[in-house]
Amino acid sequence: MSESPNAGITSRPYSAPLGQSDRPHPSNLADILERVLDKGIVIAGDIRVNLLDIELLTIRIRLLVVSVDKAQEMGIDWWRNDPMLSTTAQGLVEENRQLRERLEELEEGSGSSSEEGSSG
Amino acid sequence: MAERGQYLFAVARGLDAQQLGDVPGLRDATIQVLEHRDLQAVTCSVDLAEFGEEALRRNLESLPWLEEVARAHDDVVQATALVATTAPMRLVTICSDEASVRARLDEWYDGLQTALDRVEGCHEWSVKAFADLAPDDGAESGPRDTSGAAYLARKRARANDKQAAADHAAQLADTVHHELGTRARAVRRLAPQDPRLADFQGTMILNGAYLVDDDSRDSFRSAAEDLARRYPDAGIDVRGPWPPYSFATLD
Repeated sequence: MSESPNAGITSRPYSAPLGQSDRPHPSNLADILERVLDKGIVIAGDIRVNLLDIELLTIRIRLLVVSVDKAQEMGIDWWRNDPMLSTTAQGLVEENRQLRERLEELEEGSGSSSEEGSSG
Repeated sequence: MAERGQYLFAVARGLDAQQLGDVPGLRDATIQVLEHRDLQAVTCSVDLAEFGEEALRRNLESLPWLEEVARAHDDVVQATALVATTAPMRLVTICSDEASVRARLDEWYDGLQTALDRVEGCHEWSVKAFADLAPDDGAESGPRDTSGAAYLARKRARANDKQAAADHAAQLADTVHHELGTRARAVRRLAPQDPRLADFQGTMILNGAYLVDDDSRDSFRSAAEDLARRYPDAGIDVRGPWPPYSFATLD
């Protein structure tokens, strides 16, 4: 392909630099999700889904709250090595653990009424 | 018998099905190109046990599932946009059968044509810029005055620095966006991305989408390279050419 070498244009780690493959991809997950979930033509098909329910925001929250472990399995664990975020990440792991415990408690006790009316 | 549906990836104009090559559909289903009037619908057959309403509600909650389908969807749209004028569909646009896809193309025919006109001969480029807005704690040299007044003065100075850095970053983002915009047919500023999904450091100060005429590609890229040289700290990142996800829209 005739892409000019462009390595100098990216000065920080951000997946693969431009011009490395024949088919330039939005290879990071955020780029892809942003476009396929948020952009593109909306025509209601016969299968009705409400993508608003899973907007990026929700996914992000979910990634943080529910799936820190999962994210690490998937290799989205770079923040562990980021000095700026590693303390936050540790906090999130702990928060995640607590939230899951809380969720389990709530699920177990969904018949009881210990937390009346707090969820809308 | 398993119920099937037709997953719609994109609507194209001027697409020769042979040019799509062997890009796989979802779950390795074969890609089909339905000709309808002067449009082509790029589809594949999917199992409604996985892509039906109830299954989707469940599956879309799973990030690994979502990622896999999103990447497959994007692969097909990319392959289409390489060889034809393309209007990408939103993820999981699914019709019950071929006749239903054709009915959608009739229903939305004018809008689709307008969208395709808008992006004909163009691709989308993504340009991002970054800034390090984290305060540089504890980096002062020399002996530290430990008095309360000095502490407050340091705190105030740091807040001022932080504000100045933020103002500077916002201005830089505007400059980059504006200069690139003069070489694009259309522009959009998207929300900054989350570092946990996008793998970057610092703060994303610009997430710009640019609809660039294929003939202006070189000029757009050299403008971006020039900006990257002028503002080396902004870590300007250019991606493309992509399908016109942000610009092929129904009015």
